[in-house]
Amino acid sequence: MPSWQDFEPFIVSGLALGGVYALSGVGMVVLYQATGVVYLAFGAVGAMGALIAWSLINAHAPGWVGWLACVAFAALVTLAYGMVFGPALAKRDPLVKAVATLGLTLVLFGLMDLLWTTSGGQSRAITLPTDNGGFMVGQVQVDWTQVISLALGVAITVATGAFLRMSKLGTAMRAMANDREITATLGVPVRRVEAAAWLGCGVLAGLAGVLLADLVALDATTLTFLVISSLAATLIARLRSITVTFVAAIVIGLVHDLLTPIQSLSNYRDLTPFVLAAIALLVLSSGGGRVLARSREEA
Amino acid sequence: MIEVSGLTVRFGGVTSLDGMSVTFEAGTCGLIGPNGAGKTTFFNVLSGFVRPAAGTVRAFGEDLLSLVHFRRARWGVRRTFQTEQAIEELSVFDNVAMIHEHARLGGASRRQDVLGAISFVGLDADPSARVATLAAGQRRLVEVARAVVGRPKLVLLDEPAAGLPDQETEHLSEVIRRIPEQAGALTILVDHDMSLVSACCETTAVLDFGKLIASGPTAEVLRDERVIRAYLGTAEVL
Amino acid sequence: MAAPGGGTAADTEVRAASARQRPPLPRPSTGTLVRAAVIVVLLLFVLFALPQLMSLYYVDAMTQVAVWSMAALGLGVLVGRVGLVSLGQVAVLAIGAWVAARLLFATEQPYPLVLLEAGLITMLLGTLIGLPALRLRGLYLALITLMLAGALTVVLATTNFPNGGHGFLGYNGSSVHIPPIRRPSIAASDPAYFRYAVVVAALMFLLVFVHIRTRPGRAWAAVRQSEPAALAAGINTWLYKLWAFALASFITGVAGGVLAGANHYLYSLNFPTYYSITLLAVVLMGGAYSLWGAVIAGLLWALLPSLLQDWGVSADWLTILFGVGVLQVLTTAPRGLADQVPKDLARLGRLLRGLVRKRAPSESGAG
Repeated sequence: MPSWQDFEPFIVSGLALGGVYALSGVGMVVLYQATGVVYLAFGAVGAMGALIAWSLINAHAPGWVGWLACVAFAALVTLAYGMVFGPALAKRDPLVKAVATLGLTLVLFGLMDLLWTTSGGQSRAITLPTDNGGFMVGQVQVDWTQVISLALGVAITVATGAFLRMSKLGTAMRAMANDREITATLGVPVRRVEAAAWLGCGVLAGLAGVLLADLVALDATTLTFLVISSLAATLIARLRSITVTFVAAIVIGLVHDLLTPIQSLSNYRDLTPFVLAAIALLVLSSGGGRVLARSREEA
Repeated sequence: MIEVSGLTVRFGGVTSLDGMSVTFEAGTCGLIGPNGAGKTTFFNVLSGFVRPAAGTVRAFGEDLLSLVHFRRARWGVRRTFQTEQAIEELSVFDNVAMIHEHARLGGASRRQDVLGAISFVGLDADPSARVATLAAGQRRLVEVARAVVGRPKLVLLDEPAAGLPDQETEHLSEVIRRIPEQAGALTILVDHDMSLVSACCETTAVLDFGKLIASGPTAEVLRDERVIRAYLGTAEVL
Repeated sequence: MAAPGGGTAADTEVRAASARQRPPLPRPSTGTLVRAAVIVVLLLFVLFALPQLMSLYYVDAMTQVAVWSMAALGLGVLVGRVGLVSLGQVAVLAIGAWVAARLLFATEQPYPLVLLEAGLITMLLGTLIGLPALRLRGLYLALITLMLAGALTVVLATTNFPNGGHGFLGYNGSSVHIPPIRRPSIAASDPAYFRYAVVVAALMFLLVFVHIRTRPGRAWAAVRQSEPAALAAGINTWLYKLWAFALASFITGVAGGVLAGANHYLYSLNFPTYYSITLLAVVLMGGAYSLWGAVIAGLLWALLPSLLQDWGVSADWLTILFGVGVLQVLTTAPRGLADQVPKDLARLGRLLRGLVRKRAPSESGAG
């Protein structure tokens, strides 16, 4: 059993990772509440954005141009998808909407492999200027990227909470989560509110893409499917509470990294999101005991 | 006899049924009320889809709420829904036989019971025809056939005449009136068509905001001041 | 309580009425017989003529078509018949393949028995997962199965597939001479194994066909239409969903067994997470509801990439095509994911022709 010292660095990295999962999770929850869409392409748009950034930087563009391009790409693709397929699928079951985003995921996935092929064994990497420099906490080195990751996770969660509760746009989003049609009849510009939700989610996807490419790896498959970790957090929160999403995300990040120094479990640490979500959904709850999901009265 | 006592249902902050207490004696009973009064919620409680926060339902002396939803059909509850539920890709026969099958009524009499139900509702169609090929009015009759096949104890009809032209509503009205004597079932009819309710139901109960505001012989209830007031302000025409 | 049509006079009336009407019991019409004949002829052609007409490269591809049609069939039962979406079917396939490989190395059992065991063990595991999972809402079930697919990839990366080693996992990491997974003695050659695979697939299709025409099929139709209405009809919906899950797991497990023999060597990177998504895509494109749809899905999955590879086009274009396909199906399908209308294959054909016309010079791989 490894000693406390062995765990320390992984607490830091785990928190950083959890922070990015949190900002991703919060983005997905808010989008779901406003539109009913579980945005499974979240990881893919971030991944492709990161690869675009890499290409630009490789072509000697300044770093900030690359990161900006990544966020812009993710935001624009997400917004475009939302504006085209949102209305087309608006009245459908959330399951159908979620599966549709898998269509987008496949398209992006194919494009990524086509344009940034990995055959030939080349690996790419992204480094942020904040990787260098940092400070010591006890015996552990903490770099600024990790700080930013955690800080952003916290900031986004808090800001989103405040936004949803206090701003007009945020209140509109919460109203739409309850009932889109009634909200529309109240004069709320639902299309514009949805666009804002899609755009916000896209921006967060881009941010997550940059950070995860740095913290984890710049690899299309890895980054695309890291969405599963954030997804786990949102499922634990029943796609509802952003506070629970935040806590779950941090826990997932921490547990995942803390398993690294444990020999027997290290290989299985990527199971963390699945195991935690499974426990939350299958063991701890009634799993949706009521047959009629919508509580709305009909007659 | 169905005895409902203190039935309360809450969804989040909304109280759908508020201490509803009523007794449905026998025959065909109407259940009316403005939109949002709680009628479908009440049916959902009887079907077992919604668990009440409080209250009991005793059906023919038994505690209905203690049964799991899918076992209530076997006990003898049948129900139609506001939206069409006849399964399009199956034949008329299969649609009705399915109820018989899952209510564990025994295979020996199945064919006879099913064909009996189909002719009882006056459905003029080939039993082996797929429901997808039938017109809307005929599909409604398939649903009513599903509701009366076998030996039901309680038949719940949720707006069976919605969207039907007058002639078919007339026919439906005749069928509904014959249900208690032919099938021996207590029938509760929810509908907004007051002439249908008047024609079929000896007694009627009225819900408003989840509470019972009147019950008794249909003609009296429809003249009741409280009932008229509850409907004022909506587009309903009494 | 008298049944409708109660007293004796009404009774006679009913019997007379039922005598006048055509018996509702299914009687094969000419249409059905013709269709059955066509299927038999097609099957004979595929079994005997096709292997002679194709190069070994394509015989191989068609064996994969047989395997993946079965996987698509399993998923089709869930999505098309019951309305359940599972994003973890490739994980189930991997489990079937793993079990079959382990048994083939560890025992001398005849192939059909191994396939059956692989199917049953996979079915058992699928049922165990289904027990809690099927109480979840459809959306959550889909998401949990997606995570399951991801989870199995992680596990397989460490445990690997059996390759003749010892111990429970049967994996020998340091071996230089890794024995291939054996094939049935009567079907050792590629063309012979192709026929074997087709026969197994035909049996699986028959199994599903029988289910559809009897009580489970009708119950599934009711559940798919509306779960509350099905419950009100007395159908124990959870049980029938579990039955569908068990059936799908069994078929996919058997398919995994056939895959093991087809490939001779199995690697965890044969079963990446995104395959489960692509499988759903081809099932939706081929048509989740009809049995032919599963065959089309198999062709899309296994034949198209081989064709493209032969023509020097990257298979990534297929991934993109399948993604577009999902979006197209979902936005145009009238009712949810189980669309009864055959997919718009003409459009697919046009897309393919467009692809072929602009095929790129040889790229470094099939992707």
